[in-house]
Amino acid sequence: MGRLRPLLPLIMFGALAGLPFAFAEETTRFWQGVLIQIYILAVYALSYDLLMGYTGIISFGHALFLGGGAFTTAILLRQDNPPSVGVVVLAVLAVGLLLGAAVGALSLRLSGVYFSMITLALAEIAFILFRADDPTLKPITGGELGIQGVHVPPAIDPTTFRLRFYFLTLLFMAALYLVARRIVDSPTGRVFVAIRENEGRALALGYNTFVYKLVATMLSATLAALAGMMLVLYEKSATYELLSVGFTIQALLMTIIGGIGTLVGPMLGAATIRLLEHWLDSSAVRAVLPLWLRTDLLFGLIYVGLVLFFPAGIVGGINKLRGRRSRRTIDLLRQSVVPNGIDAQNNVK
Amino acid sequence: MTTQPVTLRRRRLHEIVSPLTIPLVTLLLFVLILLLAPASLPKLVTGIILPGLTLAALYFLIAAGLSLIFGLMDVLNFAHGSLFMVGAYIAWSCNVGLDPLYPNHWPVTIANSNARFVIGLLVGTLLGAGLGAVVEVLLIRPLYKRPIYQVLLTLGLVFVFDALVRSVPAWGSDSKAPIKPSLLAGSLEILGRRFPTYSLFLIVLGLTLAVAVALLLRRSRIGMTIRAGVQDSTMVEALGINVRRVFTGVFALGAGLAALGGAAAASFIGVYPEMGLEYQLFAFIVVVIGGLGSYSGAAIGALLIGLARTFSDHLVLELGLPTAIASASTVLVMAVVLLLKPGGVFGAKE
Repeated sequence: MGRLRPLLPLIMFGALAGLPFAFAEETTRFWQGVLIQIYILAVYALSYDLLMGYTGIISFGHALFLGGGAFTTAILLRQDNPPSVGVVVLAVLAVGLLLGAAVGALSLRLSGVYFSMITLALAEIAFILFRADDPTLKPITGGELGIQGVHVPPAIDPTTFRLRFYFLTLLFMAALYLVARRIVDSPTGRVFVAIRENEGRALALGYNTFVYKLVATMLSATLAALAGMMLVLYEKSATYELLSVGFTIQALLMTIIGGIGTLVGPMLGAATIRLLEHWLDSSAVRAVLPLWLRTDLLFGLIYVGLVLFFPAGIVGGINKLRGRRSRRTIDLLRQSVVPNGIDAQNNVK
Repeated sequence: MTTQPVTLRRRRLHEIVSPLTIPLVTLLLFVLILLLAPASLPKLVTGIILPGLTLAALYFLIAAGLSLIFGLMDVLNFAHGSLFMVGAYIAWSCNVGLDPLYPNHWPVTIANSNARFVIGLLVGTLLGAGLGAVVEVLLIRPLYKRPIYQVLLTLGLVFVFDALVRSVPAWGSDSKAPIKPSLLAGSLEILGRRFPTYSLFLIVLGLTLAVAVALLLRRSRIGMTIRAGVQDSTMVEALGINVRRVFTGVFALGAGLAALGGAAAASFIGVYPEMGLEYQLFAFIVVVIGGLGSYSGAAIGALLIGLARTFSDHLVLELGLPTAIASASTVLVMAVVLLLKPGGVFGAKE
């Protein structure tokens, strides 16, 4: 087993690539859809882990980045003569970087709960603006109905070429996982971890921590925006719900279920959540649960329970089972939120 | 308390700006808006200033609890707006359920709409405060050693409360129209223009509570303990005071204020599941401007943001722009404050 370990990602990739052929003919299309959603959500969870797990920044406005990428794609592809996929990808990358830079530049001046608070406020503003049924805004944002009828390039249309789109999202997830892994293992990524563990010390070593945190936010925002783009390509629509706190909670839920600061963990978390959702919505379970217990309420309660009793997540639990000392990430994260909030840089008298 | 590292660097802009600058600059902005889009005196008073004060009262009721709780126990309660929403839903239910003319009324009914209204306010406030105490004891207290999880947990509670409200059959996801008591349903004439009595009631309610809580904090023994706890809770504990109990009390007080705000707002804006986050958003802006942990900061921040809302609404309407931009503009105010003075106007607890 030990010698196989380096091959594990390859084996996983191969298994996932073979998965659509493992189902019966009539259900395979449905399961491909579920897996596509899982891969997209996994990238979203990955982007969140980069920020929360590795840099120790808790953003409560992550849905803003996802929604930013989604609405950029939807607005570009809604036109009658939609631009090519390359242009869309470039636009989404630009929007992701810009949103990350703008949100980061504004809110990273503060740390801890202040940062979380400001990011939540910024995302809520976007939510309000995109939901508003206003004659001037509605043509752009779609208002309450959102943007429907996005023209996906025929070659990758998920309705006609479901299997092709499946492999596209699988490759998309694998590529972005490698990118994230590369970022985390790079010297810059090491500085991110240093900031998480002790920002003051990183500062004392001569690193401009503000710039590094800004870079982390921008990278994370870009990954989330790309996930938003894929989501629109799959769903062929974008609604204001993408910007809601619910989606930020979902990122948190996936990250915490999977294990903070592990990259693989949040991706597993994404799979867990989507499959759990499917299972909870199945008629057999619905018949047992009381009618008022909605799925989202159940998820909220699961989330609260996890935070209270099971903060290390799946990967943390596996590490514990294997007798390893569980990662100290959690303890370190704890320190990164300074109670009185004001950034070390700004707090000098 | 963690110690902050000391580094040498040049003075930043916000250290030079005095606390008075932000209110003064905002006032200047208001004057500028009036120059751009002039309004007559009666319009200015009844159309901009008084509605601004009404909003300020509601923002204050949420922001005061948020700020006090943070000041005392370093917990930022992201679910504070949810308590506002719960208060609103309970008050609305009392107004409807006790009404004998309502088809699905409760077994006990009261014919007088004013009595129903007062009962709604009281029940909403008390249940909100009780809910706050329960949340503190059961959920927040186990996590004092893990502050980051407190934040994650309270955000989760937002989601839980939202889903909970939607799953109650009588409440649901759609918004409900406000029900005003007969005494406050009319309007008064101020400077020749009609102004709703209920808005005046909200202003009076906000002012009364601001003064009452200030008196409680400054004059009573409990208030002295709370203020001492904000300064240094370890020291207070060493003096033999059960700080945990004070924590729960302050959490309940803050929750009760928010729930009262919600209960009063239910007869003003109606009830809908998103109202909690919507008002919490402005409460956040208020406490950022006023400085987290500062009570007077919350009051002044609420005044500034309430007025900024109505002034920008006025400007946007005069210029024919979408009104959603006006609510977004308050975030701009917050951004400017953050750039000038990250600790807020009364930056307490630095």
